[in-house]
Amino acid sequence: MSLIASWIGNIPDFAVPFALAALGLIIIERSGVLALGAEGLMLVGAMSGIGASLMTDGSTVAALIMAMIAAAVVSQLFALMVLIMRINQVIAGLALVFFCQGLTGLCGTLMNWTSRPVSGLSDLSLWPLSELPVLGKLFIQDPVVYLTPIIFLLVVLVLNRTVLGLRLRAVGENPQAADAAGIPVLAYRCAAIAAGSALIGLAGAYISVLSTKMWLADMVGGRGWIAVALVIFARWSPWKALAGAVLFGCIEALIPQMAASGIRLPQYFVFMTPYAVTLGVMIWVAVASRDNSSQPGALGEPFIREERR
Amino acid sequence: MFDATNFQPLLARRYTLEVRQQMAWYWQALVIALALLVGLLISAAILVVAGVPAGELLNEFVILTLFDAQSLRAVLFQAAPLIMVGLAGCVAFRARFWNLGLEGQMIWGAIGATAISLFEIGPPSMRLPLMLLSAVVCGLIWALAPVLLKLHLKVNEIISTLMLNYIALNFLLHLVYGDWKDPRDNFPYSPQYRVFERLPDVFDGLSLAIVLATLVAFLVLWFTNVSRAGLYLRFVDNSPGVARAVGVPVNRVILGTVLLSGALAGLAGFMITAGQEGRLTHSFYVGYGFSGILIAFLARNQPIAATVVALLVATLFVAGRSLQVFYQIPFSMVQLIQAILVICVASSEFFIRHRIRRIQGGQS
Repeated sequence: MSLIASWIGNIPDFAVPFALAALGLIIIERSGVLALGAEGLMLVGAMSGIGASLMTDGSTVAALIMAMIAAAVVSQLFALMVLIMRINQVIAGLALVFFCQGLTGLCGTLMNWTSRPVSGLSDLSLWPLSELPVLGKLFIQDPVVYLTPIIFLLVVLVLNRTVLGLRLRAVGENPQAADAAGIPVLAYRCAAIAAGSALIGLAGAYISVLSTKMWLADMVGGRGWIAVALVIFARWSPWKALAGAVLFGCIEALIPQMAASGIRLPQYFVFMTPYAVTLGVMIWVAVASRDNSSQPGALGEPFIREERR
Repeated sequence: MFDATNFQPLLARRYTLEVRQQMAWYWQALVIALALLVGLLISAAILVVAGVPAGELLNEFVILTLFDAQSLRAVLFQAAPLIMVGLAGCVAFRARFWNLGLEGQMIWGAIGATAISLFEIGPPSMRLPLMLLSAVVCGLIWALAPVLLKLHLKVNEIISTLMLNYIALNFLLHLVYGDWKDPRDNFPYSPQYRVFERLPDVFDGLSLAIVLATLVAFLVLWFTNVSRAGLYLRFVDNSPGVARAVGVPVNRVILGTVLLSGALAGLAGFMITAGQEGRLTHSFYVGYGFSGILIAFLARNQPIAATVVALLVATLFVAGRSLQVFYQIPFSMVQLIQAILVICVASSEFFIRHRIRRIQGGQS
């Protein structure tokens, strides 16, 4: 019984990075830019979060903000590649991931940030709820966990209930029409990349600063790619992405529990499960729904206003 | 009078972006060379910031690696698996298939080769060919699922091949930390291959691997430029709809090409384990997957160009290792340099395709 309780208590820890990264990706992709760079931006967020925490004597809030800023700044390289240089968005996204992997590996080692522990944030317990049997541990979490649904709510409100969100979606669906209506397409896409990447950076910093509490090279371990798959699975809808993130959180939280419960399974096969499940989900989505109506209409296409030929 | 330029921002009023009709090949080559130069300069700047004395850079990269017989051998040695992954990238991209699973296919190739050695299958004289065959088949099988999923269910191959990489990696760790661990010590690698299971030197320290790689490069050249499948492939690349309409077996061509890509990656895994390491290790594949994609991209999917680019990347690898030893620069620097080069060259396409021209006349 206590195993199940501690499993449930661990779920948010694993679900939050998926959720925030998927939400950031949704913001970017709703503006019509195919974003494959989540893995790299999460690494940037993870490393700069730890870096800021170590250099400011453990201010976690400053670390999280630094991580968001760093990811947003690096994402402007991607914006330059796809918006100005009109590089194929798949190539640009892959190049960004490899760039960030190299950059974070280099910086982390040179600055000597690897494996140095940070303090993280202490847990907040929501009093009456935290006394619940079994589910109680779900309400003893760090503040970012409680913040995540609020961020989701805000993003959904902005996307669906404001002029800003309407314009952003218009830019993603039909940039030519949006341009004709006087919306600055490239500015919107650039802002979407920066805002979405800040959330992806926060997701990365959550892993390093709050979960693992240290930096290790390549520590994101494919979670960024799983987030990309999650967005396809969620058909670009934030709430479905949150549900998917919780599902993956449940699976990942199971891994340490299995070891603790004494079930003897080959550990590396257990480590495979998130990736195998992602593959399974991709196949299931392909079999179940063949309509692409919820996909942003101009996803992956560069916007070129008019060209004199 | 109505003047469209009034509605454009200030800068665009006097400068305009045009699509070029065509650019002569030597200008294209110059633009790409300039882009590479810019990329290398940025990389050099990063290295200097990271603590390598500026004067040592030229020494380290050019003189020590290319004009020293021992280092040159090391470069050729290093080039063989890189040529393989580069060719694997070339053929997959020709079929418009983003094969990011090169590392997973390499891992399976190496596992396949090691299994033959570990279970002592076949007589000693046939051992190496059997290992090679096993590596090719294992790499090919690991590429089968993503291509079938893409062709029949339209599952995004970028995600599926990457996920299969992580699965292959964990399986590799399961083997080298588990049943296949060398019983003599406690490190995560398999027992050493026997002498007849390792790729021999053909002459003067030149490994058989590089000879094999050159041979395969010509085979791939034949495949892409001469064979019927290669012709179909160009047809499919240019216009899949028309190709299908005139009866080209589009799906079968794509299937075969991607399987070839997986087989080549498997061969790369075999070359590293049987040529360099002499055993299955837990991290032999690091850096090769991205290098394969980079080589294919810079070579524009041309097999011969890929071989040349692979030699340059091999130089980078060898220089990166010595930087690691002498200046404690982590090996991720090599990946960073590669990424910078890709970004620069991809950006140079913009200048090949467009021109910025000043608008003449009294519009201001």
